[in-house]
Amino acid sequence: MSVAARPAARRLASSVGILSSTSTTTQTTTASSQIPLCRPFSSTPTASGRRKPRFRNITARDLGLISQTSRKADTAVSEEQIDDFTTKKFPKYTDAEKAELMRMYTPEQIAALEAGEASINPKDLTIQGRLRTDIYRLPYIDDFAEHQPIIDKRPPASRSRRISPPDPNARFMNTDQFVSDLIEWADKFRVGEPTGTLKRLEDFVPEEWRKVKEAQWPGEVRDEAHSKFKKYLQEEINKAAKHQENGGVVTGGPTDADVLSYILERSVMTDNNIQTQSSLALALPDKVPGVAGLYKAAVDPADEGLDETGVYQDLKRRSGMSVQEILKLKTKTLVMNHVSNQTRMGKIGSMVVYTVAGNGDGWVGLGYAKSQEPSVANQKARLDAISKMRPIRRYEDRTVYGNVEAKVSGTVVKLFARPPGFGLRVQHRIFEICRAAGIYDLSARVPRSRNPMNTVKATIEALHNQKDPEEIAMGRGRKLVDARKVYYGGATQ
Amino acid sequence: MGIHSICNALSHLQNASRAKLGLTSIPNTKYNLRLALALHRAGFISSVTRAGLTPPPPEALLTFEPEPVTTANVSTRRLWLGLKYFNNKPVMSKLEPVSKPKRLVTADYQQLSKIARGFQAGHVKGLNLGETLFLSTDKGVLEVREALEKRVGGLVLARIS
Repeated sequence: MSVAARPAARRLASSVGILSSTSTTTQTTTASSQIPLCRPFSSTPTASGRRKPRFRNITARDLGLISQTSRKADTAVSEEQIDDFTTKKFPKYTDAEKAELMRMYTPEQIAALEAGEASINPKDLTIQGRLRTDIYRLPYIDDFAEHQPIIDKRPPASRSRRISPPDPNARFMNTDQFVSDLIEWADKFRVGEPTGTLKRLEDFVPEEWRKVKEAQWPGEVRDEAHSKFKKYLQEEINKAAKHQENGGVVTGGPTDADVLSYILERSVMTDNNIQTQSSLALALPDKVPGVAGLYKAAVDPADEGLDETGVYQDLKRRSGMSVQEILKLKTKTLVMNHVSNQTRMGKIGSMVVYTVAGNGDGWVGLGYAKSQEPSVANQKARLDAISKMRPIRRYEDRTVYGNVEAKVSGTVVKLFARPPGFGLRVQHRIFEICRAAGIYDLSARVPRSRNPMNTVKATIEALHNQKDPEEIAMGRGRKLVDARKVYYGGATQ
Repeated sequence: MGIHSICNALSHLQNASRAKLGLTSIPNTKYNLRLALALHRAGFISSVTRAGLTPPPPEALLTFEPEPVTTANVSTRRLWLGLKYFNNKPVMSKLEPVSKPKRLVTADYQQLSKIARGFQAGHVKGLNLGETLFLSTDKGVLEVREALEKRVGGLVLARIS
């Protein structure tokens, strides 16, 4: 045997099943020819030195009895599996799809598409590409085709007409500039005069004085202009009042929204009110593109005012239950514990809360939360419990299937099925869990450690990991009959 | 007839099912063979094949022609048992010897009928959901329900679920 002299080659060969390990002489040769490369620190023999079974077995995986990835310890996936998945999930475009693409896109775009397809190896997608499926995933899959103002960085100035670099000559407005800016703004809303604007004082002086400031006008010119202007304003006011008396509606005029936008958005600098890309935060426009319409009022009319604070909105979205259904669930705080974290600022205490939630009809879940505020911890644990509710198996909708046992740390919980009318003869925490789950006949023992947290966890685990009679029957290929039901003519109640 | 080979076989089968083996072997003894056939009848294992030191070809398990046992090859014969799996879980997950070489446990018909209904009788606890008991009786190695049908008691070998 040529490979017998080379331990590594032999190990490889035996692992792929070429050689059988029945020859004891070969084994002894192998063991004696092992030269340790470095001194082992552990007394456990190395993998190659461990005893091999005398009679070779065939694993269930090799026989195809269990799925390839069923063992948690063995996460290695074969190349064939990767290739299979790749060809199945990321196939090349078919001719029909190509024809459809040709119809939709220009030849240049098709070329770009093909170049893009060619640049990505589908195998990389299999190994690296992941779409999140957990409940906390983002609500969108972003291909970065659109600019989302809340999430993305602001695009460079050249890409947006509205945002330009700040005007270097802009200064804060002085009083006159401010007044004229205000008048300019207010003129937009002027009603009355057909032109939409009021006459000004300058309009009542002779032509030669119009370019000159008011302070340089001669006395008589100024007085005359003022009296005419005053008369004109009075006429305008009377005209507006008469218009209103005759049933005319005063339209235009700044609304509250206009005033607010003047206060918030109007620039106080002499930059012609242009938005700039400055270090100062910009005021939000009235409609942010990509976000407009997404923010809805927290109050959903379907809740009928039961969730004013919006506590249940996230849970509602994730569980698909309505607030009314959520409020109907039975919840109970089972364990409350104070824990503290020692920091350089001292001890920081928190409350740990375990809460059970159930619908009283076969669904139960255990929630856990920790917070410095006991009320917050309670609330969080309650919501967590509701979101973790899962169905349990119930015999005749009243007790468990057979005797169930679960172990968490040093705590063992044993649950025993009991006849109808037996009641819940169990400790108080298990009692509350049973009540939430809708179990009515049960007895339980906690023979070892009675740590409250572990008791609660083990009970939930026991309830969720009951044996399925159907599965047992199908596994053995035998018929399994509930003798009780047969005796009473198959009645379920 | 000692019971140690049965205890060893049970331990080995439990280890094998936890290691997710598909085909494993136990020593070829008459007692082991009877237990293996009883397990096969109860649906715990898929095949019982007598072969040599290497496993028979899995694809030909059903049509495998074992060579006759002779004095020349009897020492190398082993029983190859095919283990069953359902939903990636072993069908036979817990094998617990009841009788051990130190203490043999027997149960008569009356006791067995109580045990099968889930009540304790003697040293043997009642059966739980999916559990079964294997006994060595005058009529061979039987499952508890077979023994009840034949109205016999015997030596309680193993509790299997």
